[in-house]
Amino acid sequence: MSSVKQNPGLYKIVVTHYVVAAFCFLILSVMMLFSVNAFTGHYFHPQILAITHLAALGWGTMIILGASYQLIPVVLETELYSEKLAWVSFGFFLPGLLELVYSFWVFVPGIHMQCGAVLLMLAVILFTLNVYLTGRKKKQQTIQEDFIFSACLCLCFTVALGTALVFNFTISIFAQDHLHFLKLHAHLGLIGWFLLMLIGVSSKLVPMFLVSSYQKTGLLTASYYLIVIALLLFLVDSYFWGLGFSTYVIFAIGAAGIFCYFMFILKCLRSRLRKHIDLPMLSSFLSFILLKIGILIVPFIVYFHLKNSPATVRFSMIYGEFMLLGWITALILGQTFKTLPFIVWVKRYEHLTGKFKTPMPADLYANNLLKAQTISFIIFCLAFMPGCYFVTMPLLYIGVAALMVTAILYITNVFVVLFHKTITYGKL
Amino acid sequence: MANFDITDPLSFLKEQMMETLRLVTDPELYINIIDLGLVYGIDIDDSKKLVNVKMTLSSSYCPMGESIISAVKNCIEGHYAGYVASVDLVWDPVWSYDCITEEGKRLLGM
Repeated sequence: MSSVKQNPGLYKIVVTHYVVAAFCFLILSVMMLFSVNAFTGHYFHPQILAITHLAALGWGTMIILGASYQLIPVVLETELYSEKLAWVSFGFFLPGLLELVYSFWVFVPGIHMQCGAVLLMLAVILFTLNVYLTGRKKKQQTIQEDFIFSACLCLCFTVALGTALVFNFTISIFAQDHLHFLKLHAHLGLIGWFLLMLIGVSSKLVPMFLVSSYQKTGLLTASYYLIVIALLLFLVDSYFWGLGFSTYVIFAIGAAGIFCYFMFILKCLRSRLRKHIDLPMLSSFLSFILLKIGILIVPFIVYFHLKNSPATVRFSMIYGEFMLLGWITALILGQTFKTLPFIVWVKRYEHLTGKFKTPMPADLYANNLLKAQTISFIIFCLAFMPGCYFVTMPLLYIGVAALMVTAILYITNVFVVLFHKTITYGKL
Repeated sequence: MANFDITDPLSFLKEQMMETLRLVTDPELYINIIDLGLVYGIDIDDSKKLVNVKMTLSSSYCPMGESIISAVKNCIEGHYAGYVASVDLVWDPVWSYDCITEEGKRLLGM
């Protein structure tokens, strides 16, 4: 007999990550309100750096780490190596994040920024170690494992490079300028960490939630190698020669990898057993559209960069927004209400199933709040991204206001799920 | 899908238990586990009052696996006083679309 056990001890660590991430999302939207002007300029700006790191680490990474402790054992079909290690990692991550984001916001590249970076570095190393030791117990290797391990390694390299860049503010480490390494740091994070991790986990979860009969992994294998090759080529090419015509070729390789992933998702959708697609899954599909738009912006960044046009800054800015605040945020906004209700439902109802009529996991969140959250998020995307490109202040303010509403609705719904009281509808 | 031997004196009880297991629903799909074709068979040791349910899950990494197993045990023990239930998860034959009953397909909108 084999089945992945839902370890009750995991509940606290997973939920803590979700709650902290939800607060980070709310703080992020408030910070954006106070820095709307910064979005009209260059992305290398203290407030933009603070917001980007809060979005990438406090929001995106925090929730991925929390979900990973629950889902990696499911994806790797084995139990988590250590909960203690997870807590220690969290204990380094949160103060590290706060120190780093505050230091960027006030832009004091001193001891606090350095300590923050080092703490984050320790946290991600411990997380990677926990994932590696979890996967080591498993006999059969799968493509999902390759995605997840590669993503964890990329996270370590991203944070290591980020830490070096933080020290570079005060001690001269790199010969080239800061911005040269910033794009390597950003892409290691966006493509290496987020994209690989999200493909790895979603390639198991999407077929599971859709109850798809598509079992082939050829497209995923192609996707993995194409993305990893493109990333490595980009890092080497960009480090030695900067952006050039070769960047288009590298982009094409990476885009082909992402296309393979989309084809996999499409095949899962077509062969799905469950015809009805719920709102959290729709939000996840919206995230794929935002990812596509983000990817399509890349050739424009390269084109205007090669022409030395200032338009490259605007395109870079909206590229980052589509990736972090568009794709990753939409995916989290949807998948939170696929994963969190299950986690809470197992805790509240597992012992009652089969004895009493109970609510289902999807009954644990407020559907109306989720609908309103999805609408306000779409308004954010429709207002903020064009507002940022055309530098239109009213659109930027509408966008930020919509994001704040999204964050408030999201955090409220998270608490609706967490504070759900056990109810039964009579004996079976 | 389970088969019942009419010559088996416990076949009626097995059939009854199978019907009772229709009360156990997959929390994600809202379809009972019998129409999903997850239950392969039931063995009863009447002298020891032991019931063993042979079943599978739609995938070995199903995160709701433990809940479904727990529901199966609760359901049998709750409806048949004195019986102790156990579940054997089996992966051969592997569950597929073909295991779903016509009623299950109708409920899923297939």
